Amino acid sequence: MDRDLLRQSLNCHGSSLLSLLRSEQQDNPHFRSLLGSAAEPTRGPPPPQPLQGRKEKRVDNIEIQKFISKKADLLFALSWKSDAPATSEINEDSEDHYAVMPPLEQFMEIPSMDRRELFFRDIERGDIVIGRISSIREFGFFMVLICLGSGIMRDIAHLEITALCPLRDVPSHSNHGDPLSYYQTGDIIRAGIKDIDRYHEKLAVSLYSSSLPPHLSGIKLGVISSEELPLYYRRSVELNSNSLESYENIMQSSLGFVNPGVVEFLLEKLGIDESNPPSLMRGLQSKNFSEDDFASALRKKQSASWALKCVKIGVDYFKVGRHVDAMNEYNKALEIDKQNVEALVARGALYATKGSLNKAIEDFELALENCPNHRNARKYLCQTLVERGGQLEEEEKFLNAESYYKKALTLDETFKDAEDALQKLHKYMQKSLELREKQAEKEEKQKTKKIETSAEKLRKLLKEEKRLKKKRRKSTSSSSSVSSADESVSSSSSSSSSGHKRHKKHKRNRSESSRSSRRHSSSASSSQIDQNRKDECYPVPANTSASFLNHKQEVEKLLGKQDRLQYEKTQIKEKDRCPLSSSSLEIPDDFGGRSEDPRDFYNSCRTQAGSSKTEKPYKSERHFSSRRNSSESFCRNSEDKIYGYRRFEKDIEGRKEHYRRWEPGSVRHSTSPASSDYSWKSVEKYKKYTHSGPRDFSRHEQRYRLNTNQGEYEREDNYGEDIKTEVPEEDALSSKEHSESSVKKNLPQNLLNIFNQIAEFEKEKGNKSKN
Amino acid sequence: MEGWEDCRGGAAAQGPEARPAPEARVQFRVARFIVEAGVNLGMRSIPIATACTIYRKFFCETNLDAYDPYLIAMSSIYLAGKVKEQRLRIRDIINVSNRYFNPSGEPLELDSRFWELRESIVQCELLILRSMLFQVFQHSHKYLLHYLVSLRNWLNRHSWQRTPVAVTVWALLRDSYHRGLCLSFQAQHITVAVLYLALQVYGVEVPAEVEAEKPWWQVFSDDLTKPIIDNIVSDLIQIYTIDTEIPLRPWPGLPKEKPRMVSCLGTLPPRRHDGWSPEE
Repeated sequence: MDRDLLRQSLNCHGSSLLSLLRSEQQDNPHFRSLLGSAAEPTRGPPPPQPLQGRKEKRVDNIEIQKFISKKADLLFALSWKSDAPATSEINEDSEDHYAVMPPLEQFMEIPSMDRRELFFRDIERGDIVIGRISSIREFGFFMVLICLGSGIMRDIAHLEITALCPLRDVPSHSNHGDPLSYYQTGDIIRAGIKDIDRYHEKLAVSLYSSSLPPHLSGIKLGVISSEELPLYYRRSVELNSNSLESYENIMQSSLGFVNPGVVEFLLEKLGIDESNPPSLMRGLQSKNFSEDDFASALRKKQSASWALKCVKIGVDYFKVGRHVDAMNEYNKALEIDKQNVEALVARGALYATKGSLNKAIEDFELALENCPNHRNARKYLCQTLVERGGQLEEEEKFLNAESYYKKALTLDETFKDAEDALQKLHKYMQKSLELREKQAEKEEKQKTKKIETSAEKLRKLLKEEKRLKKKRRKSTSSSSSVSSADESVSSSSSSSSSGHKRHKKHKRNRSESSRSSRRHSSSASSSQIDQNRKDECYPVPANTSASFLNHKQEVEKLLGKQDRLQYEKTQIKEKDRCPLSSSSLEIPDDFGGRSEDPRDFYNSCRTQAGSSKTEKPYKSERHFSSRRNSSESFCRNSEDKIYGYRRFEKDIEGRKEHYRRWEPGSVRHSTSPASSDYSWKSVEKYKKYTHSGPRDFSRHEQRYRLNTNQGEYEREDNYGEDIKTEVPEEDALSSKEHSESSVKKNLPQNLLNIFNQIAEFEKEKGNKSKN
Repeated sequence: MEGWEDCRGGAAAQGPEARPAPEARVQFRVARFIVEAGVNLGMRSIPIATACTIYRKFFCETNLDAYDPYLIAMSSIYLAGKVKEQRLRIRDIINVSNRYFNPSGEPLELDSRFWELRESIVQCELLILRSMLFQVFQHSHKYLLHYLVSLRNWLNRHSWQRTPVAVTVWALLRDSYHRGLCLSFQAQHITVAVLYLALQVYGVEVPAEVEAEKPWWQVFSDDLTKPIIDNIVSDLIQIYTIDTEIPLRPWPGLPKEKPRMVSCLGTLPPRRHDGWSPEE
């Protein structure tokens, strides 16, 4: 309670208000204690009556007193204050912000005596006064005040108030001479009040701005022009010349009155806070308004639930495989509610499913930013990071991959997959370094050896081929065609149709060329199968070795071996991939659960997370089946080759899967058909395979070496045969070109380049074998 | 302005002693609704005042039974926002109103019902505009602020700083729109009366008032007389009496369905439900 204020009011209204207050506010503990003390002056000496005429003024308006007593707790509360800032008085006369009016006393026609008295009561040190110099003496100059420049705006022009500006308060304007010589009688001077003698009505002013309070210190003191006189004074002069003008007329005709911002300006000037509007109604006290009821909060809430609804619809679409519709819903949700976490997570999941891992990561990260504790966002982000890391690893961007794994680990220290992947990567990076060194040595040796032997063998094989050609023209066994489908045409083959064509053409060759390019074909088998099955799910890599296919039996032998050897390895690898890919399966489930019941959702999330660790086999199976279902819609998306690729592999049996894994070179080949490494410069190729397949562990590597060596010879033979038996070199070329021309239509330019290179190579070969 | 006297609402026509008529109670409640919704919508004082005035004016010309007062109130808010250049969105108005009637409820879903309600508000806006004949209202706020500045310069600055006159008059003026004062009296007269009451409450005297040729309140408005001031002050004070007599929020003993602002949807012009006047 504001005691002084209450006392002021009581002084005005007297004891009747006091008794009313006592009865009205008796329940208010503040008032009970206060009223005791407030009552004392009334009991003791009569309250001081500073102004005369109080008795007439005291209207016993019982209605008002009742009102005061009822609202006293509000009216006299300490918080019931206007907080007008002291600085609001700067530049009062900033012209047209509001209607600057002549002083009220001028309209009220208050006698000069009272005005003078009130001026000396209210003037304070630091106020700015404006006056005319009336006389200049050696000790300073006198000025007659005409108006005030700050603080109170009063009409003092005719009060004949003089103020002295002593010499020491006049700044000198030049190095020599009397500072007062600068001033003349009649100059208009702006000065700060330095001293007031209220009793003798004497004022001392200063021209140094140090006499002003800090918020006015920017105002220039000294001589001013008549244009610089305050607006209120000029209006006051106008009023004097036409004293019939009413307050309202002046106000209405003032430009400032129609200023659209006048209300805001004056509210600030008077310290009224519109954002927290005052009211004397109990129901309208600002404490009764909760932030939750405000329009912005409601809108936010509404938008959020609307967005969530869209997300829900989107998830439903997602579940039935309508991914475009789902994406539209997610985007709509995000339009409605820009930072809707659920929409972000759902869209991220969709991106991840579609293979746009970077976009997925972006969404998950944004979601986590908005809601750092969102379990799914964190989980998915980790998984996606690891998956993306895996991709990068395959692209041989090991350092990037590493940073992705690490990022996943910083998000979730316990994320096993990231840790495993990181460790594996580190191991692998070490190993590959060693391997590379070894490889360099071996290559040197092999190169020399191969060239000799292969030439001999070629010749031999070509002869045989020639002989058999006639015999076996019609002996296309069904088994071989099946096997060829299985083994396929190698990753780098042209489109599946052309692959087929050539496949048939060279069937005889194939049946005879025993184990040639076995590795190569097997490495590519998976992709080829997919092509056969699914009709071009992703751009077909360029490798015309598709035509040099081999025996089924041989491949199977090898496959069998490798299977046995590598089965375990594959399992492990599979495990690596599983949680990640299974995540994309979980997403829709989670969302369904979430939108229906958020609490359940978290539970299910937790249990699923748990199960994904403990029940890997189950998970992966689930994953596969779902993949098979959904793969159709994905495979058209050429954007994510690798993703689709992997999926297809999983569709076929695991044994195919590990070919890809074991021979990353071929994978790389298939994913980057334009790679110049694969320019088919003869022997180099196989070296590259062994070279770039360093994931194999040493003993396997040994075997590979063997295989490659063999394959090398046979391959060369094969080439030779190819050319010799089938056609003379010219024909071979033309037939090549012919088959290629059909391919050209649907192959990108880079593939064509490779084809050209191949053609050249074969030309060379043909020449060689002739020689 | 002269014609405004006729528009005095039922409550204003009653003496201060009489209990307000049921119709006045409804009007009071709706006015409170406008004020509260206005605060929740972040409206400034003048748009809120305009909304209240539009609403009052509309029912001066129209029978209260003809339309749902809350729907008219919502349209008034929307229209006031346009008139006073504080653009409000209908969706926000609906949300805030819905919240007012269902304090614990969730925001409405943006379904067909919502769009119907929105359409109703727009239609009502046109209806109001037609009945208003596009007239403009003079509000007291601008006068009040200028009067305050003039008074502040004449009063002792310490006594001004000590006394929360500015806040009090602003509160009184805002509260005055709970009743149709703005239609019954001139804006300047209301302003002066509000100022007069605030000065009285704190026992502030205008210096040299006795010596002055012209009392301060007459300076502000030439045609103002003391009885008019007393009249307005009395009306102002009565607003607070009504405030304590009419339970507003939460509504005790009100039927579960609440004031059914949504129930009027789709039918245009909407019929008013007369259930909503609980006599306690």
